[in-house]
Amino acid sequence: MITAVRTPESLAAAVGHAAAGGRLMAGGTVVMAQVNSGSLGYTEIVSLRRAGLGGITLDGPLARVGATTTLTEVEQSPDLAFLRGAMRGLASPTIRNQATVGGNLFVPQPYGDLAVCLLALDATVEVTGPDGSREVPVGVVLANGVAPGEVVTAVRLAVPAPGTWFHHKAMRRRLNSAAIVAVAAVVDTAGGVVTSARIALGGVAPRPVRAVSAESVLIGRPLESEVLERAGRAARADISPSDDSYASAWYRARVLPVHLRRAFLRQP
Amino acid sequence: MASQVVNLRVNERSREFLAAPGTSLLSSLRDTLGLTAAKRGCAQGGCGTCTVLLDGRAVMSCLVAVQTVDGASVRTLEGVARDGALDEVQSAFLEGFATQCGFCTPGMIMAAEALLDRNPDPTRDEVVEAISGNVCRCTGYGPIVDAILDAAARRAKA
Repeated sequence: MITAVRTPESLAAAVGHAAAGGRLMAGGTVVMAQVNSGSLGYTEIVSLRRAGLGGITLDGPLARVGATTTLTEVEQSPDLAFLRGAMRGLASPTIRNQATVGGNLFVPQPYGDLAVCLLALDATVEVTGPDGSREVPVGVVLANGVAPGEVVTAVRLAVPAPGTWFHHKAMRRRLNSAAIVAVAAVVDTAGGVVTSARIALGGVAPRPVRAVSAESVLIGRPLESEVLERAGRAARADISPSDDSYASAWYRARVLPVHLRRAFLRQP
Repeated sequence: MASQVVNLRVNERSREFLAAPGTSLLSSLRDTLGLTAAKRGCAQGGCGTCTVLLDGRAVMSCLVAVQTVDGASVRTLEGVARDGALDEVQSAFLEGFATQCGFCTPGMIMAAEALLDRNPDPTRDEVVEAISGNVCRCTGYGPIVDAILDAAARRAKA
């Protein structure tokens, strides 16, 4: 049973309530669903809605996206236009009006499509707790979460150069369905061959994972079908897929090379 | 903590009421304010039948903790008709046989209102995307999409 809903109007107050044991809530798409089903496991909720953590700012190619920025705001931001396709494949427009950038970091796979993108982008997470602020690589937050009492305040990322961002999501419906396989990547090429690659996968492990085996196949080679097939097969070493109502673990591993290839050849 | 006083502007009317901690906007609308158009379906944000407009944007009202939106403006299906006359979306649904069993209709209409407020001339694909969070288990999506396009055409002529 919920005994209190706090709506702190400053970050310091939010940290105080979180440190006292309240469950942080941003958009509510996960926490309120747990409240409704009686499975939250906390008695106090700390809403970040009024804590002043929203908004997108751009400094050259570097973007800072406040934690309570909604996914609709990301989708509609001209500065983050490269993420529009990924956002339109994530849940429904109604949910995107509520779900937030910070909250998406804590959504288990096969949901949390934005977190997959942030891992590919090597984003940095700004975190504030009772002992001060720190910056953490997004991969660390995805792996370990944050400490009790800590609040994610923003993510920072470099907007990829034109032509270097790749995203593809396979799902059971064209819209509003969880990932069977999601691929997000930043890949640079020079002279027709790959010079650097950061590939993140969704839907194929409990949390977003780097496809380091696929990355090493791509380095020094062109983004062509045969290379991509090989990279896709190599990526099977990087995943630990599960069965769920969307797909079996077997199917996810089976189709991973197909979707990795489609991501880089920009095929639907 | 005891219940809190919450103020909302609901369908252009100021409403002040008490809400226990953790009460959803949907519960406040239905159980406290007696506005029962928004339906309680999955209570998980997956079905869309509780869709209302919160400060002009479509939201799943079951996922909104009402204390966190004190002072906001809410529009429900009850606030769509004007001077007792159905609006274009309602008329198009009724005349296009887009209601079927009716359980999803309040959410479908509010998702359509949110779309047409921002995009008065949507494509069929844009309509499909706008209602992609709204489930119709009669599977009457064809007539629903047709009705929303029809409503846009009626508004363009009005």
